[in-house]
Amino acid sequence: MMQSFYKIIYLLLILSSTYLSSQLRIEITGGSDEPIRVAMVPFEWKLNSAPSHYLHEIVKKDLESFAEFAVLNPEDMLSYPSLEEEISYRDWRLLKVDYLIIGSVLKSEIEGEVNIAYSILDVSRRKNIHKALIKGSVKSLKRMGHNISDRIYHKINGIPGIFSTRIAYVDKPLSDADSYDLRITDIDGDGDLSLFKSNQPILSPDWSPNGKEIAYVSFEEGTSRIYIQELATGNRRALKRERGINSSPSWSPNGNYLSAVLSKGDNPDIYLYNLRSNAWTPLTGHYGIDTEPDWSPDGKSLIFTSNRSGSPQIYEINISSMRIKRKTFEGTYNARARYLPDGKNIIYVHRRKGVFHIALHNLRTGKISILTDTFLDESPSVAPNGNVIIYATKDRETDTDILAGVTINGKTRFILPSVSGGAREPAWSPILDKY
Amino acid sequence: MTLFQEFLALVAIICSLSACTNTTIERTSDATAVPAIATSTYSESSLASSSTVYFSYDNYNINSTGSEKIKSLASIVKENGLNVRVEGHCDERGTREYNLALGEKRANAIAELLIINGVSSSNITTVSYGEEKPESRGSNEKSWSKNRRALIKTS
Repeated sequence: MMQSFYKIIYLLLILSSTYLSSQLRIEITGGSDEPIRVAMVPFEWKLNSAPSHYLHEIVKKDLESFAEFAVLNPEDMLSYPSLEEEISYRDWRLLKVDYLIIGSVLKSEIEGEVNIAYSILDVSRRKNIHKALIKGSVKSLKRMGHNISDRIYHKINGIPGIFSTRIAYVDKPLSDADSYDLRITDIDGDGDLSLFKSNQPILSPDWSPNGKEIAYVSFEEGTSRIYIQELATGNRRALKRERGINSSPSWSPNGNYLSAVLSKGDNPDIYLYNLRSNAWTPLTGHYGIDTEPDWSPDGKSLIFTSNRSGSPQIYEINISSMRIKRKTFEGTYNARARYLPDGKNIIYVHRRKGVFHIALHNLRTGKISILTDTFLDESPSVAPNGNVIIYATKDRETDTDILAGVTINGKTRFILPSVSGGAREPAWSPILDKY
Repeated sequence: MTLFQEFLALVAIICSLSACTNTTIERTSDATAVPAIATSTYSESSLASSSTVYFSYDNYNINSTGSEKIKSLASIVKENGLNVRVEGHCDERGTREYNLALGEKRANAIAELLIINGVSSSNITTVSYGEEKPESRGSNEKSWSKNRRALIKTS
């Protein structure tokens, strides 16, 4: 009796609720791909308290983030099954749904915990393709929702979902010239938090491979220096400082080293920093500018920017053989490259006709695709599934620094407007919530 | 240790102390990592005077106006036994880290010219701020030309 009463209240709440306003604004530009059509039936709620979040709303917002999916609204559904035997596949075929998600939120024997049981069904094949039971705290319902989104994304698209990841960025409010704030936010714009504030510049944040620390550059001592901050405690430690530039940290995939830039040899070169022995070792020694190193996913090489040929271009160095190879030949400004997780593609800042774009470059075929058409694009960072890029750009109308994004196929573009009018230097976290 | 280096060291100590004491832990209800805020403030010394040399785009060559300025500045520095801090700056175009490197090339070019004109290298410190501290806001050549500069501060 009590249970069915809650069920009615729950359904009424679902049908009348409006979606939370998102900070992530999406604008789809071109592309003829039909999004994958998904229906997620509001999960049956078997708890005696009202839900703090609706899982189907969280999942809808997540899956539609990059326009790859279209998620059916509950009011357009013809039936509301929560068990596999209650499914009428005809209903879902009629609604042209490709995948159906059903489930229940169940009481746990542990106080304050819930169990979520759900299934993903392929409508055309009438087949259950994924069945899972996940456990967590009632308070972490939102996080569990993102986790379910990640699993759905993975099962349908074959690559990991990124809805539990975060983005680090530097905020410099328009209103205050001497305020720099290193912040992190969930990718949906929630949970925005300050990590470190200073009245001197902060730049180049980079996540440790385990997602627990961030390395960045701070000018708090009047010159550049690299710091590592632990997220859980806020504790900071400084790397051994050398004369001149100390900048551009990039974590090795095994977490034992940072590559970075020092200019103690009178010009900027790439160095390795051993995090155990706190010792610097030079990797390059050219009289030109060598900067912006990024580690290949297999840890065997680094790409970096060098002007040794007269203009900034991308080079790759093999760490064991120390052999250096030039990778870019098109244009006179190619800089700040980042590997995609496959190690076969890189993205970088590419100048064409005086305008700075983000370009995707296939290292095997040499094919270059321009992904962005915004103004003064820089600081590209790749999502850990390799499917989305976030970068910093200028909003010409308001003349403010904003973060923008694009899917790797160039079809979906979005912006992350900042409250203060000064977001820059985005860095996408690794996968944080493993499933 | 020069007076200026002593000052920097003192500032560094104060900064590191304040960074520690201001560290607070903010707990959030629903996150594995609980970030904490740290803060730092660095105050620049009240340096007596400064002069500016401007550069052309993606370049660290000093033009004739600039070198004349450095020559006369060098003699003042020598006569009065001053310390010099050279800051290299860039416009916003291009990447931040590349601009940090370019800013240092600009600062070093000034430092070298000061040394050629008789200033002792031990009296010179250089720092690059890249594109982080623009003189003029705005995404146009008028602002950019003001931002491609080296500031020579004496004390």
